[in-house]
Amino acid sequence: MRPGWRNIIPHIVLSVFSLAILLPLIWVVRVSLTDKLTAYKIPPEIGHVGIENYIEIFSTYPFERWFFNSLIVALVSTAIALPLATAMAYAFARFNTGGAFLRLGVLASQMLPPIILVLPLFTLFFSTGLMQTRMGLILAHLTISLPFLAWMLVSFFEGDSASLEEAARIDGATRWQAFIKIAVPVAAPGILAAGLLGFILSWNEFLFALVLSGADSQTLPIGLASMETHAGVEIAPLAAATVVSLLPVFALLPFLRKYLIKGLSLGALK
Amino acid sequence: MMVRMGQASNAADRRDRRFGYALAAPSLTVLFLIILFPVLSALFTSLHEYTLIAPNFDTFTGLANFKAALGDAEFRHSAWLTLRFVIGVVLLEFVIGFGVALMLNKVERFKPVYYAILLCPLLMNPVIVGLIWRMFLHPNLGIVNYLLGTIGISPVNWLGDTKIAIWTVILVDIWHQVSFMIVLLLAGLSSLPKEPYEAARVDGANAFQCFVHITLPMMRTVIIVTLLIRFIFAVKTYDLIYIMTRGGPGVATDLVSYFIYRTAFVSLNIGEASAMSILLLTAILALTAYLYRYMRSLN
Amino acid sequence: MLKKLLLGSVMALGFAGSASAETVSILMEGVPDTEYVKALVPEFTKETGIEVNLEVVNYAEMHTKLVPQLVAPKGSYSAIVVDFYWVGEFAKAGWMQPLDDRIKADNFDTSAYIPALMDLVGKVDGTTYMLPFYNYAMGLTYRTDLLADAKNQADFKAKYNMDLRVPQTWDEYLKQVEFFTKDGFYGVVNQGLRPDPIAMEWSNYLFANGGEYHDANWKPTLNTEAGVKAIEQYTTNINKYGPVGSASFGFDEAFNVMAQGKAYSYITYNFFRTSYDDPSKSAVVGKVEIMPVPGATPDKGGSLNGAWGWAIPKSSPNPDAAWTFLKWVESKEIAKKRALAGGSPTRTDVFDDPDVLAKYPYYPALKKLLLTSHNFAVFTYTPQLVEVLGRELSLAVAGEKSPQDALAAIEVEFTELAKKDGKLQ
Repeated sequence: MRPGWRNIIPHIVLSVFSLAILLPLIWVVRVSLTDKLTAYKIPPEIGHVGIENYIEIFSTYPFERWFFNSLIVALVSTAIALPLATAMAYAFARFNTGGAFLRLGVLASQMLPPIILVLPLFTLFFSTGLMQTRMGLILAHLTISLPFLAWMLVSFFEGDSASLEEAARIDGATRWQAFIKIAVPVAAPGILAAGLLGFILSWNEFLFALVLSGADSQTLPIGLASMETHAGVEIAPLAAATVVSLLPVFALLPFLRKYLIKGLSLGALK
Repeated sequence: MMVRMGQASNAADRRDRRFGYALAAPSLTVLFLIILFPVLSALFTSLHEYTLIAPNFDTFTGLANFKAALGDAEFRHSAWLTLRFVIGVVLLEFVIGFGVALMLNKVERFKPVYYAILLCPLLMNPVIVGLIWRMFLHPNLGIVNYLLGTIGISPVNWLGDTKIAIWTVILVDIWHQVSFMIVLLLAGLSSLPKEPYEAARVDGANAFQCFVHITLPMMRTVIIVTLLIRFIFAVKTYDLIYIMTRGGPGVATDLVSYFIYRTAFVSLNIGEASAMSILLLTAILALTAYLYRYMRSLN
Repeated sequence: MLKKLLLGSVMALGFAGSASAETVSILMEGVPDTEYVKALVPEFTKETGIEVNLEVVNYAEMHTKLVPQLVAPKGSYSAIVVDFYWVGEFAKAGWMQPLDDRIKADNFDTSAYIPALMDLVGKVDGTTYMLPFYNYAMGLTYRTDLLADAKNQADFKAKYNMDLRVPQTWDEYLKQVEFFTKDGFYGVVNQGLRPDPIAMEWSNYLFANGGEYHDANWKPTLNTEAGVKAIEQYTTNINKYGPVGSASFGFDEAFNVMAQGKAYSYITYNFFRTSYDDPSKSAVVGKVEIMPVPGATPDKGGSLNGAWGWAIPKSSPNPDAAWTFLKWVESKEIAKKRALAGGSPTRTDVFDDPDVLAKYPYYPALKKLLLTSHNFAVFTYTPQLVEVLGRELSLAVAGEKSPQDALAAIEVEFTELAKKDGKLQ
């Protein structure tokens, strides 16, 4: 194989994969620009084209409220979960804190179907006034992301940054400094990936958000699901709402560029 | 001399241990405060006759709920089905995901673009994914069967055929969730050190040898954790089933989480649903513990 | 100790959530009838000074969201809407407040409601818990243009030696289904998704064949000639006269087949009638009409009744304000305004109102549909019965069980549930 080929093969694989992901999404965009009648026309035809679905999600449905609630809940719960989980994961990986028992115990609650946890959680939240508040949802989502993030991160601390930390300790660094200044930067790609996945966990969480939210704290998944009604699915506005809710990913592009390239160089530091 | 060194290292160990607990304390406090009560409540409920129509813990029934659950052929069917479903999605997603992650790790150009694209399905709620795919897969009015028709394939009954429906759900789940694996595996790959590869290249190893002898061993823990977490999520799959098939046709896609959901909130039999959940928990926990020990033994 | 803690926390929640005395919070579903209520709410706030907060969620998830609220002694919702098949369960669990005293004190006239609806989503064992909100009884929607077509009429006459017309009996309708299935066009589209779409639709087949769910003593009467015929006809319609995949269609998929002009008929909820005339959803505007599902003889109907009712939960933080809202929203004046906007009425006086009739000429057919409709087996365990029906019927349609075996299995579980509920001795 010539070097040229070597560089092209990954791009071919990635393009095919990206297309498999993108084609359905492109069809969603198309549906968002038409009406239900045209969306189900076979063979497909151009039919009606317009942006009224995008207007409808803001006029008929409180899309901006759903979106804002989801964003706040996901951002805040991840912002709290990520440092907490990082610290716990480091403790697990470096000092074997609590041993296997604690490690498994932390995750065990997430092995129960959430439907079983939701009733007692409802009771707990109602008696503490957290019911139907965004704060309540943030806490509920914290219980989901904390254990998972900790487990993901343990594997990133179990790499060989231990020797670097030891060297630093000999040079007089405290345990805390070794953790913050050495271990965390080395595990940065893992921490950022975990943060991203933590955000996604909260962003998509359905059951707790359904039972614990109220009219003012309704999140995007609950709002979007309400477009499936007893009188049919409002598929065209739903498609428009899906498209709008995905736009922030592309706002992330500059950040991703930085993170993906930087993630590599941090790894190379070892 | 020896004794004093031992004491010193003991003291250091103690301080290490204390530092570890200090780091873990905030997380543990949060989990303790919010999740302990629901978990204990589930355990407690599983030992009582507890339905929401008459919610009281008057009758302690011991293991009766567990017996009822295990004796229920429908429950056993969905547990067995779930096992096969979970193995299917996790393995397929791992193979595809690892492949894509390896390729992504090789490229520089367009990398953020690829990455942004693969994040899109992850940011969609399962309910939306289900509704949208139902539209695509409509046997008569869906775009998928239309496209297949243009190359001469007769309409596929994606969700209405007992043999095909579960595979349809698996395919949609892969489309939706494969990126989860990619994000984690790519993070693992990008934190691997460069030196071993350089040394191997000097020794004349080819790409495949590098993969088997360097990448795989160093990625071991990341791979196991990724598989494990995806496994736990896959067992909990219920929204997708709920939107796409409701467990049908017949009982062809009746996964255990959806079954438990119905026992709890349709039949309102929280006692038996809790017992089923504890059984599920035990199974997953046993597997996790096994994987965990396996992981340790390799280190 | 733990038992006490659990019980105490479930039972003794002392204060309400966010709802204050001046706000009526109601959990609803995003159907057109909710939109009509929403549009009129400002009038209510102007009259009474009470704010109304409508929280809209997905239909099927509503039950999941309601249950914890109803189990708690104090919840977040002042009033709720109740689907007919939750009625038995909610009543048995004591989750709804009796309305009789309030009705009497305010002279609210419940005799204005269509009696079948009052039975379904009004009274339970003599106590009034709900006011019927809107109906969704099922009807036969069919293509009028195809019936009027001269060539079709001649062909049909030649084949069956009878006129092609609006079907008078169930058998006549089945012949039309067979007749219209040709060249990629379907005689019927079905909603075979389990559990409620298939269970609800199949009920029409059962009633049309003269069957019922149970006798006066709640002994199941499903494994009968009518039941077996109903399953056989249903399976044939799906597999032979319907589009590929209708065994997994929900009502949305089935409606779309009909709305794209690819089928002659579809038995469905009557509120879909308006959607056929919406040019953004339908290619058959003005070509679809609704009628009662025909029965064994022209004077009998085979339609399944269905409706939602307003109720005040036991856990309501402000039941008085909730009642003020209920009696306003169900007054003749407001009910008429809702009907004029397109809502499905529940009151006889709204059905007979000249303004309403002038706007919706098919309302007499709807009224007849309601008057000849049959009720589902409504008891504490209706949702479980729907689950059992969904599973067994789905297995029968998939060919994995014979009609007799499926019906026998349904009867066994139905008997068990009826006994558990004390209906059957």
